[in-house]
Amino acid sequence: MSCTLGEVKNRADFIIYWGGNPAECHPRHFTRYALTPKGKFIPRGRKDRTMVLVDIRETPSAKAADIFLQVRPGKDFEMLSILRALVKNQKVSASAVAETGLTLEQLTDLVSRMKAAKFGVLFFGMGLSMTRGKHMNSAAALTLAAEMNAFTKFVAMPMRGHGNVTGADVIMRYTTTYPFGINLSRGYPRFNPGEYSTIDLLVRGDTDATLVLGADPGATMPKPAIEHLRRTPTIVLDPKVTHTSRLARVHFTTAPAGISAPGTAYRMDEVPLPLRPALKPSYLTDEEVLKRIVAAVKAKPPWYPAARDGAQIA
Amino acid sequence: MWFHPRRAEIDMRFLLMPIRSNKQGVQINVGKDGDEYNAIVNTVQIHPDDLKELGGTSGATIRVRTDVGEATFTLKEANVPRGLLFVPYGPPTCQLYGGDTDGTGMPTSKGWDVEVELVP
Repeated sequence: MSCTLGEVKNRADFIIYWGGNPAECHPRHFTRYALTPKGKFIPRGRKDRTMVLVDIRETPSAKAADIFLQVRPGKDFEMLSILRALVKNQKVSASAVAETGLTLEQLTDLVSRMKAAKFGVLFFGMGLSMTRGKHMNSAAALTLAAEMNAFTKFVAMPMRGHGNVTGADVIMRYTTTYPFGINLSRGYPRFNPGEYSTIDLLVRGDTDATLVLGADPGATMPKPAIEHLRRTPTIVLDPKVTHTSRLARVHFTTAPAGISAPGTAYRMDEVPLPLRPALKPSYLTDEEVLKRIVAAVKAKPPWYPAARDGAQIA
Repeated sequence: MWFHPRRAEIDMRFLLMPIRSNKQGVQINVGKDGDEYNAIVNTVQIHPDDLKELGGTSGATIRVRTDVGEATFTLKEANVPRGLLFVPYGPPTCQLYGGDTDGTGMPTSKGWDVEVELVP
């Protein structure tokens, strides 16, 4: 149950941001897509839209909201479950509502506004997906949006961060059918988050070398994962010196995409955007460095011995 | 009876919420070596009453400790809920969290139970 940001701009009259702070983290989201622009079916722009913010603190985004609901930390799943119950006119216990830090009136009002909307969007951020409950919180948000379609058009979309993380997911998905946590060691893709996902592999010490592309795990990952990157050979491709490049054995300085290298970036709604470089590259692109690494690896004799009868192992 | 040498120094427990901020996003693109980036990822936002209870003032240094590690931060009074600390993600917060992902691939990146003591 998702859509493009173009549909949000042209149709969405009810916006919920849950566990996200777009005013700071996605500064153009309000003005380009979700809140202020006039759209085909939203002729008056901001006046035709209602925005609700759900968060544990009053962020700068609250100033832009029509309704701010301050949920207690770690109670997002409970609040989503209560909303799902209220959507279906089921009874909810007063004590369960009290736990969320909100009142039944606030939640009932939210549900009635959601049902009255012509096109609702639930944008959810890391405040929902990275707190206790994680994927269960995200699943509850997606289920709520799906169930709302019994009453009106309602979609959900994650507020992806950083440049092109969506691109990595999209490419992995259409090449392997899985978005992340993929093991290709048997020659075909296997997917198991918690087993093959990066942090789990690093923390368990399963890997003996790491190739980092355009990321800085040395400044974002948990301490045990960083320590493993430091212990084992790490190769970094990055336009800049980063915390990861400092702990790496090899750092290739590459041309930044969109500035001096062409490429494609995927917007958070998975719409691909071509990048045209404004400057001539002074370094090799990521693609060129990777191609040369692949060629060098292919030229190397295999580490395993040849079969006894002289046949090559495929 | 065995006595934890640190226990007497521990003043308060908080939930630490690593967050992202606009200034942090700008500085990531400028470079992570600058004083401005380091100041951003080393500054913890705290409720005024919690600050008072802790016995500190804006600009004071605290040591934050978890089961995994510890890091020091500078305090800044802000409009945040009581009992919670907010700090932009960065190298100092990396020192505080472990790699258990509960089978999801994603470590718990928010809501860490931390011990906080004022550094004199």
